[in-house]
Amino acid sequence: MKIMLLRNLVMVAAFLGFGIAQAQDVSGTVSDASGPLPGASVVIKGSTTGAQTDFDGNYALSDVPEGSTLVFSYIGFASQEVPVNGQSTINVTLQEDAQALDEVVIIGYGTTTVKDATGSVTAVKAEDFNGGVIASPEQLIQGKSAGVQISQSSGEPGAGVNIRIRGANSIRSNNNPLFVVDGVPLSGESTTPNGGDIVNGGNATKNPLSFINPSDIESISILKDASATAIYGSRGANGVVIVTTKSGKAGSGGNWEFNSTFSVSSPADEYDLFDGPTFISQSANLRSQEIADGLDFGQNTDWQDYITRNTASQNQNLAYSNNYGSGNVRATFSYGKQFGIIQKSSQERITGRVNVAQRFLDDKLRINFQSTLSRVNDEAPPISGASGSSGNLIGAAYAANPTWPSSSTFSIDGNLVNPANYLANWQSETHTDRFLANLSAEYDITENLTGKISVGYDRSDAQAISVISPRIRNFDRVVDNGQAAFNTLEATSKLLEATLNYKKEFSNSTLDAIAGFTFQDFQRQGIDSQGWGTSINNLDKIGQNLKQSIYDLRYSIKSPYQQFGYDASNSFVNSLNPFNDAGTLAGRSSSFRSAWGNAFDNTDELQSFFGRINYSLNSKYLFTVTLRADGSSRFGTNNKYGYFPSGAFAWQLAEEDFIGDAFSTLKLRVSAGSTGNQEGLGYANYLKRVRFSTPSIDNDGSINRPGTETVAVQNSDLKWESTTDYNLGIDFGFADDRFNGSIDLYRRETKDLLFRQPAAAPAFDPFKFTNLEDGTLINQGVELGLNYDFIQSEDVNFSTSFNIAYNDNTVEGLKGATADFGVLNGPGLTGAFAQRLGEGRSLFSYYMATYSEDADGNPNFNADDKDFVDEDAVPDITTGLALNLTVKNWDVSAFFTGQFGFSVYNNTANAFLNAAAFNTSRNVTPEALELQSSEVSTLYLEKGDFVRMQNASIGYNVPLSGKGALNSLRLSLTGQNLFLITDYSGLDPEVSSSTSSDGDFTGGIPSQGIDYTSFPRPRTFTLGINARF
Amino acid sequence: MLDSNYKKRAMIKYIKNTSKILILPAIGLSVLFSCSDLEVEETDSLLVENFEGIETAEEAASSVTAMYNQINGYIGDQTNLFALSEVTTDELLVPTRGSDWGDNGIWRQLHQHTWTPDHSYITNVWNQWNELQLTASEVLDSRSASSEASRADAAFLRALGMYVILDNYGQVPYRDTTADPLDDPAVLTGNEAVDFIVADLETAISTLPATTPDGETVMASKSAARYLLAKVLLNKHIFNGSGAADSADMNRVVSLVDEITGDGFGLVPGYFDIFKSDTDEETIFWVKTSVGNRIWNGLHYNLTTPDQAGGWNGFSTLAEFYDLFEGDPNTNEEGGDQEERRGYVPSAGKPAGIPGTTDKDSDGIADGSNIGFGFLLGQQYAPDGTPLNDRGTSPLNFTRDFTDATNGEKSLVENSEVTGIRVIKYHPQYGEFAEHEIFFRYSDAHLMKAEAIMRSGGDPTTLVNELRVLRGAEPLAAVTEQDLLDERGRELYAEFWRRNDMIRFGQYTKDWEFKDPSAIGDANKQLFPIPASQIILNPNLVQNPGY
Repeated sequence: MKIMLLRNLVMVAAFLGFGIAQAQDVSGTVSDASGPLPGASVVIKGSTTGAQTDFDGNYALSDVPEGSTLVFSYIGFASQEVPVNGQSTINVTLQEDAQALDEVVIIGYGTTTVKDATGSVTAVKAEDFNGGVIASPEQLIQGKSAGVQISQSSGEPGAGVNIRIRGANSIRSNNNPLFVVDGVPLSGESTTPNGGDIVNGGNATKNPLSFINPSDIESISILKDASATAIYGSRGANGVVIVTTKSGKAGSGGNWEFNSTFSVSSPADEYDLFDGPTFISQSANLRSQEIADGLDFGQNTDWQDYITRNTASQNQNLAYSNNYGSGNVRATFSYGKQFGIIQKSSQERITGRVNVAQRFLDDKLRINFQSTLSRVNDEAPPISGASGSSGNLIGAAYAANPTWPSSSTFSIDGNLVNPANYLANWQSETHTDRFLANLSAEYDITENLTGKISVGYDRSDAQAISVISPRIRNFDRVVDNGQAAFNTLEATSKLLEATLNYKKEFSNSTLDAIAGFTFQDFQRQGIDSQGWGTSINNLDKIGQNLKQSIYDLRYSIKSPYQQFGYDASNSFVNSLNPFNDAGTLAGRSSSFRSAWGNAFDNTDELQSFFGRINYSLNSKYLFTVTLRADGSSRFGTNNKYGYFPSGAFAWQLAEEDFIGDAFSTLKLRVSAGSTGNQEGLGYANYLKRVRFSTPSIDNDGSINRPGTETVAVQNSDLKWESTTDYNLGIDFGFADDRFNGSIDLYRRETKDLLFRQPAAAPAFDPFKFTNLEDGTLINQGVELGLNYDFIQSEDVNFSTSFNIAYNDNTVEGLKGATADFGVLNGPGLTGAFAQRLGEGRSLFSYYMATYSEDADGNPNFNADDKDFVDEDAVPDITTGLALNLTVKNWDVSAFFTGQFGFSVYNNTANAFLNAAAFNTSRNVTPEALELQSSEVSTLYLEKGDFVRMQNASIGYNVPLSGKGALNSLRLSLTGQNLFLITDYSGLDPEVSSSTSSDGDFTGGIPSQGIDYTSFPRPRTFTLGINARF
Repeated sequence: MLDSNYKKRAMIKYIKNTSKILILPAIGLSVLFSCSDLEVEETDSLLVENFEGIETAEEAASSVTAMYNQINGYIGDQTNLFALSEVTTDELLVPTRGSDWGDNGIWRQLHQHTWTPDHSYITNVWNQWNELQLTASEVLDSRSASSEASRADAAFLRALGMYVILDNYGQVPYRDTTADPLDDPAVLTGNEAVDFIVADLETAISTLPATTPDGETVMASKSAARYLLAKVLLNKHIFNGSGAADSADMNRVVSLVDEITGDGFGLVPGYFDIFKSDTDEETIFWVKTSVGNRIWNGLHYNLTTPDQAGGWNGFSTLAEFYDLFEGDPNTNEEGGDQEERRGYVPSAGKPAGIPGTTDKDSDGIADGSNIGFGFLLGQQYAPDGTPLNDRGTSPLNFTRDFTDATNGEKSLVENSEVTGIRVIKYHPQYGEFAEHEIFFRYSDAHLMKAEAIMRSGGDPTTLVNELRVLRGAEPLAAVTEQDLLDERGRELYAEFWRRNDMIRFGQYTKDWEFKDPSAIGDANKQLFPIPASQIILNPNLVQNPGY
């Protein structure tokens, strides 16, 4: 009824506007390159009258006034305007959108276009994604946006990825942005349990985003400033990355797409270690002939080569999509297996996805459903960054005597580890099942008012088993005993979201307002367990035995429990609720002489109210105001809720007469806002919490029954970290945006820094969580992004895009509070660290003795004389350069990244590759003999500046007649990590492996810039085929 | 790796998950109409908004269990209290060997007396033993439902925690568990601190069980509390700065030791047998922690047993300390003229079959019996009697001196693998990771009694000689202060008391090899600094002079 009324009004308006105009009917078909396009919009220009194309791409409009122009549009395609000029049939073929500024950009709880955006937002579409072997979505957009630093922590398949959007805003938290997948904000925590520390440090957790099949991703939006992220309130401070998966938009009647890639990888670089004969001759020269004779075992083993390998990996992806007018569906299945270049490392991923969209009730009700189910199997070698004096597998391989035989049964007394023995008797596997689904119903209550309810469900179920067999040598307590850890983690998140959206166009302005409520909870439960003392040597069997033993023991306990365990003489079951610390096990497992299990189950909740108003006046002046109120169960009674407002203004200067025609785009953006962060804080750390302490197996296999301990201390004033953000940006374009770019200036101040500091003694350990009262972390910087299409012609296109960002990071207001971090591990480095929190300095500032030598080249400095050395691990400048050339059916692209203005501590050299290490019978490189001091000092601190050729690819679109079954066929060859230009002496200066563990003095502050036996980065070549039919 | 069972489970899970999609809207709607109060539930831990006493006797008892487990950790390793008590003296040092044991200088700083307020062991000891005090205070809180037995244990453990803090830092922060947890803890010093500890110990003595040597000496007993009270009183004139022992206190020390004797404790012969895991009359209080750190820390990598791939080649002693013992200073071979407590280096392993030993490798030789007792000097031998080499082909021949491997000059850094005399008291052949470390020993009480008599003007010679004769050493004609300190060193080396003893006898500030010249005579070193961060966190603390 209302629509009728409106239509009549339009009619009247049209009548008034055009005088005595003739009306007519127009119909036709809208298509894209691959066929009819259902759901495209056809509107009479200057009115709201219009229609959508049906299942076959057909539309019909009646009473079209004479002299009208029709506007044909569809998301992702360039709009086309066609004057009617009396035609009754107008068929249109829409072209995929080339005009960047009309691109739809997904933002929090809605969409906008680049043109209308007021905040600092970058959208990267599928065609701009990085190619090659991609394990997780972050890698797709690495280097694509100014001020977004993305680094995979190592070359290990499935390794964690660190993202810093405009620097690090928090001392403690991981500083990774919030990920939102199809509207579901993901928990920032890992979905895999850690590998269990059975010997020499536990392995790092895996990247939680590996479960997403990169081929399913349509676009990724990066929200950078507070104006864009404040709608996510307490989780917006580190930026927001919105991942949108593909829907079945194109191709009625069903389209199939098949992708297949085959990759080969090899280590990009390696150390030039002494071979057997040189090691012996050098030992004779530099130590003594006697020592050299004692070291000579007669073989010549390249241990670095022994633990690394060249690998072949594959990925297969099959997608079906169908758009049938009133809805669409897309389903995919993919299988991939990536092998790491170190033995016993791999990641296998199996994913399925179904996305369905359906419209009902004259399109007023729209149901959307997105779901994915995945299985990720990870296999990891023993390469913990926290491993101590024996080093991890990589350290052991560097240090191993090259005259040892490459036999897994060979060992010599002492603490020098035979890598072959280590590798053969270790196994670590993690299996993660994850299911993520989102169902939403959107209803147009009136023409202007839309209500939407969505529910999301995210569950991951992971098991990690790590095993050391009794045949291991040189690791004290596990020799002849073996040990295994079996850890599970079930993480479940439920989301409910309800929004009301009001959109109205006035004569010279538009209003778009949204208000909403969301609730999300995050439950994490599981069990950590270990078994010690087995007589079996088969690694699979030991792991299965432990899993079975722990299941059996669990089911033998009839009452609730927190933990249980047994050793040769005793057993225990401890329960918190009801409290009972006197329970015992009915039996024990015959597989292990000692074992324990320790369960956890905690739930965090987040409840929020939010709203946003976008107002645009004369298409020139754009205003955005947002507010979010976030309540979190992680905070104390006095600060349960945090309020995060933001405002932004943008001015389309190019539309102003006084600017003239020189600019095709000129837009000024100003924004300010506040966002929060709670990631640095775990579950319920504002209450006094008491649990039974974690059991542990002593060296003789005995386990003491644990007693209760306080694991958190009450602090009802605990509150959010809040980041105040100011952004000033200019978007510009010349020559119809053939040359375009943007500049952003920003300043972000994070206050109330969450800090885990020692409480005033007497206090419980772990230490107390507090907000540093006046502590402020300031990030300020400038970002520049430029795009230029050098050549635009029928057959040849050449374009380039470049981005560069400068960021300055400073900590202020510490009032004496300090913390040491940058944990260094390795022989003779127990308790060593390289960085300290300092007033007026950057996070991750290096703090150590300054190395100097006397005239004879001998070390001459006091290692205890430590101070800040005016270097830090945070890059000042990050940059990316992409070149794209298309010639007819061929396309070539190259992509470079660079980081400048940071230093790396070469802990690998400090621990293994120096003269002192050589003097303790460890193998080194020729250069290492120059390093005469093994003290922590600037001797091992190096500039990390680098430029990397990240990616280069060449593709060929096979010309097809279009008559056969194939619609398109594309072949491509991609190379990744092709070369690296750097003065850094280690393998790769881009390191972010974590060397700290919860147990050490840093209290869990993550490390940055410490290169400690990092998993080497591979160089990879990938052959790909893509077919649509 | 995947067995079919696992796959089946995954499949079932898939079906379960899929069916959950259908109930999603239901979940959503139910949540919508119940706004969350954002309170956490007790699914994972016991939660308390504000501490108002431990609710049940069982929870309090579990806290006591946790405290005993904690001190196992505090005592068991080679770092922290052990390092502060021994490596800061003439008794132990950890030279840097190649790149090993550099550890950012933490070991050198202790021996050289150049530590700073951010030394991690100084921080850890402060945090650990203060935490013990706080846990004990919760059990002792009048609102707690703790049993009498738990309170008795907690009184002893709080006194122990506060004693360690007072001894090392000279001031004790005290947190009243009834106060707001954000309040700054009060700080006790001098007599105030001593009185607080004494009051707890008097409570402990009256309420703890009277355990005999064959009872549960792994828990606190009247004798353990009496021992600790004797220790506190003997050191009281150091703690309160009065400079001279009070004779009433000394008399009390004597009577406390006599009361310990009355419960059946006494001196036993067979010095190294005391450190086996079985019960004996010497052991007043032991902790259930592995003695592996005491054993393997000093031993060379190539001194191995079937279960242990060798030592960690760190801790050694100074020759000047070794020379306190009777015997040839240049050798410590089996059957020499040395006194019993200096131990010996065997020239080969012993035949299998010695009670308490094993022969896992079936070579007819008791595992580990080739490794010596006490002080290891000179050539070391394999079980079959062949001389061992170091990791090169040099003989494994421990030297008296610490020298730079390249230039031969005396040095704490750049040592070879074989410098320094090694110290081993617990023995691998009786369980290389046996969980039985002695903390309070009767011969210490015996010598405390002798010292109390001496400090109140009496003659301790008889008591000292009683011990010496039992240990096969020549009786002394008369016992001076120096003799008594030396005797304590010979009897109690590597048992946590050297620093405390040297301070009480005024010798902690004297020169010894490798001590930094600036630290010689510096009385400020008798207290460790308050950890830097703690001074900021608690304004009631005043940094000790000199830091």
